Amino acid sequence: MTNPVSRREFLNLLGAYGGTSAVLQAGAALGFMPSSSQAAEISLKANNGKKVAILGTGISALTTAWELTKAGYDCTLLEASHRPGGRMFTVRAGTVIDEIGNYQRCEWDDDPHLYFNAGAARIPSIHSSVLKYCKELEVELQVFVNESKTAWVQDDAMNGGKPVRNTDYSSSMQGFISEMLSKSLGKEQLDSSLTESESEILLGMLRSFGDLNEDMLYKGSVRAGYGSGGFLDHGTKRDVIALRDLLKTRLAGNVMVTTQEGTGSGPLLMQPVGGMDRIIYAFANRLGDRIKFRAPVTEVMVKDDGVEVAYEQNGVTEVLKADYCFNCIPSHLMSGIPNNFPDDYSEALNYIRRGKAYKAAFQAKERFWEKENIYGGITWVNAPSAQIWYPPHNIHGKKGVVLAAYNFGGANYTEMSQEDRIEDFLAAGEKVHPNYREMAEKPITIAWHRMNHMLGCAPRWARVRGGWSEKEEAMYETLRKPVNGRHYLIGDQSTQHSAWMESAIQSAHYALADLDQRVRSEPA
Amino acid sequence: MKKLITATTVVLSALCSTVSLAAEGDVGVEASMDDRYCTTCHGAEGIGNIAIEAPRLAGMEAWYLKRQLENFRAGIRGTHAEDIQGIAMQPMAAKLSDESIDDIVGWVGEWEYVAAEITVDGNVNQGRTAYQSCASCHGANAEGNEALGAPALAGQNDWYMITQIKNFRAGFRGAHSEDTYGSQMLAMSKTLRDDQAVINVVSYINTLQK
Repeated sequence: MTNPVSRREFLNLLGAYGGTSAVLQAGAALGFMPSSSQAAEISLKANNGKKVAILGTGISALTTAWELTKAGYDCTLLEASHRPGGRMFTVRAGTVIDEIGNYQRCEWDDDPHLYFNAGAARIPSIHSSVLKYCKELEVELQVFVNESKTAWVQDDAMNGGKPVRNTDYSSSMQGFISEMLSKSLGKEQLDSSLTESESEILLGMLRSFGDLNEDMLYKGSVRAGYGSGGFLDHGTKRDVIALRDLLKTRLAGNVMVTTQEGTGSGPLLMQPVGGMDRIIYAFANRLGDRIKFRAPVTEVMVKDDGVEVAYEQNGVTEVLKADYCFNCIPSHLMSGIPNNFPDDYSEALNYIRRGKAYKAAFQAKERFWEKENIYGGITWVNAPSAQIWYPPHNIHGKKGVVLAAYNFGGANYTEMSQEDRIEDFLAAGEKVHPNYREMAEKPITIAWHRMNHMLGCAPRWARVRGGWSEKEEAMYETLRKPVNGRHYLIGDQSTQHSAWMESAIQSAHYALADLDQRVRSEPA
Repeated sequence: MKKLITATTVVLSALCSTVSLAAEGDVGVEASMDDRYCTTCHGAEGIGNIAIEAPRLAGMEAWYLKRQLENFRAGIRGTHAEDIQGIAMQPMAAKLSDESIDDIVGWVGEWEYVAAEITVDGNVNQGRTAYQSCASCHGANAEGNEALGAPALAGQNDWYMITQIKNFRAGFRGAHSEDTYGSQMLAMSKTLRDDQAVINVVSYINTLQK
């Protein structure tokens, strides 16, 4: 086993990222509790049947239609696909995966537990608007296990390629971080920044966080998993993985932050029982024949007194005339639909790039992960397939659906054949679970860049890491204002936090508030 | 031929009549089983889509479209690692049957020619001079020449033509041993000295809209 990195080496590493002083300055935020997030109360003026055209049936469109219909508006939704929901897509027995050039049909067993959320898959506690509609529309929720400490971390560069339990990795990492910080904080820095009592609490926390010994050194922890015993016999510690060995994998960040709440991850997440599309159909089934399927929009013309939307259905072009239009068609597809938007609006629409992401899943013959003490959570692999998710529901059932790849930000699968995609994730997975290949039945893949009527995943605004440019902020504001007070762009593309249902719903609420204010100010 | 497609579609649809229902009672309709996917990328009625970098199809000659679909399908086009847009297209065509290609070509032929929006502003005079060598195949008005296998250029998306000429110059397109016409174009593209010359000639072609 190699020596742990020395204290000096570690401090140098810290320095590269801003160092201890940066950590302490960040502490200035202590004392400010984040306010709890509340869903907006939607109270639209009851309306006498104004006509609204809603383009697309993503969750922003369905939210809009639902709220407007309740208020008495006459809504028509135009959906290019055969199904509603856009990137809220659940695959189960019989589902068609309408990928251009790679049509798939899911052949899994017909069982309500055997499904796969191919797009949105997790609901954080702070996504109040999503939760509000789940409650209102009686969508049953269950806990989603986002992290299991018994899941694995596998990287060819670490531990000879043999997988390491998440808890083994993270306990050791916490131990080393605590040891290093306690050493560095024992000196004048600490004296000048913290009171004696604060120092005592901080050091006590570090000892506990890292499971340090009385000399404030990390010498292993049973949290990493017992080497032997633990119940009838005293548990023994496992051998410590040296810090330098832990630092051989770039997965360190993923492993350590999965359960941080805030931007959407968290220790407690939720999922609808039976699949994420239960939310979609809770809306869509209530909207019924207001939704026209396989009705792609072919033109959007904003007029002085309304909006005219041309669409095709059964080979015939129809024109829908409406007072208002709410549009969640992905911006990169809207670029290919004739319209009369102002130049600055079109420029902003064309600016947004389509995000890259892909997923894959298979039906497992047996719940093999449970034999490895795993009951949910994520295994991280240093491979393009990146993640393996184990279903947290139907524990001890016969079969289960395993997420075998989730690469957010990559488009590798776009350029691979179905066979190559499957081989790619099987090869990565069998480094973790030796029987993986044998357990995998009827794999499916979802390359969002190729999905018909989507051609991309969550929209990407910022071109440079680290934030939005002034130009981007300005374009965003342009798109948030309705064209001529008639055409509203909605969806997560019209938010600054894409990829979340909550954002999409809030974009709808934002547009609805604007509409309501216009309607209320109309002369009686 | 079209009849055959329709019959096949009906049979497949009947077989899969329940496939698109997420669960009993959910709204939705049957998924389409034909290969008419083109407009998702190439825009409504094939007007082209700069955000996807998919060119205008409306107005493209049937013989040219057919040849390109066949080339994509056979991997003659869209397999060079640097041909990024071609790589995006190639798998779309890979699974097309002869019947599907004919169906698509017929369908695309129903769309009205619409001249593409102009997005580049090069030196038209220099472009005109450079175009003289292009005219021998593509025609003085860039109207194309089927006998020579040279497609019309007038009215095509200028950003697409720029990408393609650059790809020919770099050997990303037209280098495949079976790409007979592409290899001619690869040779001809070398007459354009640099990227600016490409922009200039495309700017001139922009003045030749039908």
